[in-house]
Amino acid sequence: MKLLIEPINKNNLYEETVDGIILPLKDYAVESIISFSLAEIKDIVKNSECEIFIKINKNLLNEDIEDLTNILKEIDKLNIKGIFFYDLAVLELKKELDLKVDLVWNQTHMVNNYRTCDYYYNHGVKYALLGKEITLDEIIEIINKSKITSMVEVVSKPSVAFSKRKLVTNYYKDLGKEVNNDIVVKEKVTDTNYEFIEDSNGTSIFLDKITNGTSVIKDLYEAKCEYIIFREYGIDNFRELVIDTKKYIEDKCRDDKYISKYKKLGDSTNFFFKKTIYRVKK
Amino acid sequence: MKKIELLSPAGDLERLKVTLLYGADAVYIGGEKYNLRANANNFSLEEIKEACSFAHKLGKKVHLTLNIVFHNEDMDGVEDYIKDVVDAGIDAFIVSDPFIINYIKTNFPTVEVHLSTQNSTSNYKAIEYFEHEGIDRVVLARELSKKQIKEIIEKVHCDIEVFIHGAMCTCFSGRCALSNYVTNRDANRGGCAQVCRFSFENGNEKEFTMALKDMNMAEYIGDLIDIGVRSLKVEGRMRSLYYLATVIGTYREIIDRYYDKTLTPEIMEVLQERLDRVANRETSTHYFMKEADHTDQYYSGRSEVSNQDYLGQVISYKNNLIKFYERNYFEEGDLVELFTPLGEHISFIVEDLYDEDMNKIDVARHPDNIYYLKLDTDIEIPDYSMLKIVRRKNENI
Repeated sequence: MKLLIEPINKNNLYEETVDGIILPLKDYAVESIISFSLAEIKDIVKNSECEIFIKINKNLLNEDIEDLTNILKEIDKLNIKGIFFYDLAVLELKKELDLKVDLVWNQTHMVNNYRTCDYYYNHGVKYALLGKEITLDEIIEIINKSKITSMVEVVSKPSVAFSKRKLVTNYYKDLGKEVNNDIVVKEKVTDTNYEFIEDSNGTSIFLDKITNGTSVIKDLYEAKCEYIIFREYGIDNFRELVIDTKKYIEDKCRDDKYISKYKKLGDSTNFFFKKTIYRVKK
Repeated sequence: MKKIELLSPAGDLERLKVTLLYGADAVYIGGEKYNLRANANNFSLEEIKEACSFAHKLGKKVHLTLNIVFHNEDMDGVEDYIKDVVDAGIDAFIVSDPFIINYIKTNFPTVEVHLSTQNSTSNYKAIEYFEHEGIDRVVLARELSKKQIKEIIEKVHCDIEVFIHGAMCTCFSGRCALSNYVTNRDANRGGCAQVCRFSFENGNEKEFTMALKDMNMAEYIGDLIDIGVRSLKVEGRMRSLYYLATVIGTYREIIDRYYDKTLTPEIMEVLQERLDRVANRETSTHYFMKEADHTDQYYSGRSEVSNQDYLGQVISYKNNLIKFYERNYFEEGDLVELFTPLGEHISFIVEDLYDEDMNKIDVARHPDNIYYLKLDTDIEIPDYSMLKIVRRKNENI
């Protein structure tokens, strides 16, 4: 099982520590804290030996297609392991341009069943980043039943929603105050904070609470999950965490001290052990 | 030139009949499984059969939403369900999952498949992907401008459908799990708790909100026809009969008058006022003519208006007497309007009002009771005609 991370500091990418890194592409990635130009990505690829994935996960517009076509042609010449994609235009362009680079199906809240994973696998998609709103049992069923290579986000502040609208700017405009790009708000009933981060593509909404899936890594390892993902945003002492996690995996997830140590990340296991409901009417 | 389709929501059989009679060319409904309004009164298989039979007799169509984001367990039985609803007579499926699209097109090639707005499709290249999968129509994301919609239509071959009226999601459809996180209700399996209409604390004097005004594209229907949109969709499977009759009837008139070249600014003003009056929120055209901004949103302090214009639904008209079920209080001297599925609107002052036993009364005050109202007219007043208030007798003009 490999450990992929999404870093938040261009000067600290952890390439020597982890198996792979995810680099959000400037102007084409959302729900990320930093992004990289194509030139920056080329430099990183040249100087790095770990697996490099690029994230292109915005909802694309007509006017993006021509530029994106050129970017994908450039990416295809690099030693890139895969592209995380949301918009089906990326898959269509891979077919049209006969690109060799592999794709990761990354439709944030939609990657929830093994049959659709297999559909994408049969249409040339090698990997799937599974949804964060399904249970560990559902994840393991997908890993067992689908031919696609599954990735599971295990430690992160989860992205919850994305809007094309400038929700923070609009709010401050209505208030008549100077605009601040980020805002943390509290949902009153559950007493839970959400973070709104705005950029030129729109507004990303994050749960302001760390999902601590360190306790499920062993289950994923035993299920032969090939990739787990940690996102650095919001997590202190990230280097120590990834070093310890790599060791824990290399030791076949047998060291319970790792689990005890990382209880400090909090007790939220998100939806790993909690099933959503949708029928509330009798 | 093929006339544009007016596509209405229908939460149950009665709403389906009303919206078709008021001028919808097609309706979209949810079955008891796999649709994004799990808590609506959805259609059983028997009801789907009846719905299709009713619609087809009028030369109209029924689309079925099958647009949840499937979990493993949801896949059990979906093939059987698809076969059952095809046998029931469904004309088109509205789907978001490409596995399901592929399954339907492979096994039932004569049934149309429409890509749900749940996919938030916003460019022509993504549509080309789905065209290769056999998609017949794409319901576009609600975040697109007129220019972007036009360019898409110019570059693709399948039909394009757009939303024209009703409530809006703050985030891209399919790209929001706020409901899952805040309430544990699965937004993408029909349980959305509309968290984007909540208000949140943030330390400022005004709470943080992100709710949107409703969409109302009435004044741009001509533009949508001209750029080649195939279908105009109204939101609201859970809306009332009165709301649906008013909105669908009004858009029917706008479309017909646009084609007939009789849609004058004066008439448009009347029709827009009719739509505004039935709405319980302010409206906007959002991204169609400009980048959406703070003027398209609601902030703390807004209130949704409970509409009490709807006075009653007509049961029959005989011997100059309208028999009707009352919905809201009204009395002698009020100026009311009778409107019919045939597009007729008759305004008159209430003079002779009777209870169910034909005793003359001054006030109809009990919802769900039957009353009679005298009206002398030669105009045909069919089933599902409705009464609404124009002006109370004690209101100033």
